Amino acid sequence: MFLQNLTNSLVLGSVYVLIAVGLTLVYGILRILHIAHAGIYAFGALMGLTLYKLTGNILVSMILSAALSGFLGILVYRYFYRKVLSESRIVPLVISIGLFVAMQDLYRLIWGPYKEAFSVNFNIPDIVTENLIITGDQIFIVLVTIISLVALYFIMNKTKWGKALKACADDLQMTGALGINIERTVMLGFFMGSFLAGLAGVLVGIYDNSVYPTMGEVPSYKAFVVVVLGGFGSLKGAVVAGFILAGAETFLVAWKGFLLPRDAIAFIAMILLLMFKPSGIFGRETG
Amino acid sequence: MKRFLVLILLAMIVAYAISAETIKIGFFAPLTGFAAADGTSALHGAQLAIKLINSKGGVNGKELELVYYDDALKADQAVSIAYKLVQKDKVVVAISGSYSGTTRAAAGIFQQLKVPMISAYAVHPQITATGDYIFRVGTLATVQGRAGAHLAVEKIGAKKIAVLVMDNDFGVSLAKAFVEEAKKLGAEIVYEEKYPLGEKDFRALLLAIKKLDPDAIYATAYYSEAAHIVSQAKELGIYVPIIGQEGYDSPKFIELAKNHAANGTVITTDLDRDSEDETVQWFIKTYKETYGIDADMVAASAFDAVVIAAKAIELGGETPEGVKKGLSMIKEIEGTVTGFKGFTEKREAMREITCQVVIGNRFHYFWKITDPEITTP
Repeated sequence: MFLQNLTNSLVLGSVYVLIAVGLTLVYGILRILHIAHAGIYAFGALMGLTLYKLTGNILVSMILSAALSGFLGILVYRYFYRKVLSESRIVPLVISIGLFVAMQDLYRLIWGPYKEAFSVNFNIPDIVTENLIITGDQIFIVLVTIISLVALYFIMNKTKWGKALKACADDLQMTGALGINIERTVMLGFFMGSFLAGLAGVLVGIYDNSVYPTMGEVPSYKAFVVVVLGGFGSLKGAVVAGFILAGAETFLVAWKGFLLPRDAIAFIAMILLLMFKPSGIFGRETG
Repeated sequence: MKRFLVLILLAMIVAYAISAETIKIGFFAPLTGFAAADGTSALHGAQLAIKLINSKGGVNGKELELVYYDDALKADQAVSIAYKLVQKDKVVVAISGSYSGTTRAAAGIFQQLKVPMISAYAVHPQITATGDYIFRVGTLATVQGRAGAHLAVEKIGAKKIAVLVMDNDFGVSLAKAFVEEAKKLGAEIVYEEKYPLGEKDFRALLLAIKKLDPDAIYATAYYSEAAHIVSQAKELGIYVPIIGQEGYDSPKFIELAKNHAANGTVITTDLDRDSEDETVQWFIKTYKETYGIDADMVAASAFDAVVIAAKAIELGGETPEGVKKGLSMIKEIEGTVTGFKGFTEKREAMREITCQVVIGNRFHYFWKITDPEITTP
């Protein structure tokens, strides 16, 4: 039973990580609390299902939807955040919240309020043993997450774009002064983060077999919990925190049932951490 | 320009005068938000009933008009809608197409303002306890829970039952009634756990249940949670029957279950798809034709609420007081789809409980519970 719960929390964690990484990437560069990120996640799922119905090919639909989510992220940056970057930080936050709410209703108008099934046959066999069952879609999610994280690691550490992103996260003005095109770098950051969010949306849509306009509600705040736990701006932190949170949720529920809704567990963890180590597990002391 | 304005004004007055010839029935349901699917179903069911009744000449020669608002599943919104329906729209009766929380909130207002309100499918016992203007067409949670116990123990033969309880008015009241009755019938409740509304991951709980090897699982849920429960149960290798209630009663339940995991699920509800009754068949067929999606319990309940309201208006008169009287006077009534058989003294609906099973792409008749000991609220 431990193994089964471990497996389940690995899958749950993968999703948390994919969403949180994008969020922390944006925060790292621009110091914006990008609530609308959850709106991009939902878009990814909704678009992914639409594309899948059109093409019948899940890989194509998934990647295309993620790419479209990436572009949506860039749009959000250019038309909603860019002009207010010099204002106090609450301005982009309020814009982001308003945008998220509007996005959800826009999705309802486009795609309808109903939950739609997103059923995909991966042809990945389930692993069934006496004590452990790993389903094909669980394997798929973990695989996609691993590939994405490896790709992300590669981009962040081995390419000049990654170096530019890290430089921007360190000091945006200075980086610009040194001749790096920060505008392009920021857009790349948004694209990458939103790509991952859209990807996560598709994966969750398939895993839960339901896609609907308000599916970003819980991720809108839970992703922040992961980011806070891992330390604002820390990619490594987001990855570690994502898995730890998923593990904590799963094992606590397995042990004690839903004494509290699982989201409450996340929040309590966040509150405790903010009280004792506000910079998170891997966070930098500078805000 | 002035003449044009006068014409417009005249047209408005005429239109208002004409519209005053309808009898207004108030209605509220969650049309936005996460419960939008159910709210929309309820609205459609109600609208279909209005259409049917008006096509047959309306009530007392006048057409019925459904005045409806979206409560977004928020209690405070339901309250302001209640005021609006009574004070601004002057409805003679109101129907709640919403869940228990919002219905309870609105019921208080309707009782205070002395306008009858009919709860289409909200099942919390406290709703009708609000006062003598509040009626319920849906099956009371205690009745449904009891019926579920007989279904589980007598029909399905389960001796060890695991219970999953959705942690809200609806889920808790159903589970409580089920557990009480199941124990009386000699079954053992080997597991009982609550889960929050909207939960998507039941794997940890289901694993614990699997270890206990029950004969059946009784899970209170709406169709989203139910779809997750049955999908994950099958994934984890749990194949015992999962017994549900009217919350599962939606084509969405079958659609959202992964890999057809809904097959074999049995529920207590009030719409019998295999009924040979003419109205039921008309309802199922016309609903599908008009709205493109299969009818569900919510739509059926709202449909019946309108039919019953119309009958009450006919019997008692076109005023709120008249409708209240009319509602208590209804005994047997033609033209309902949920087999409504009148209200009890406490304004609860009497009916037979139908049990439906999912086979293939829809619900089918499985069993019927008619024993008044069980079905009388």
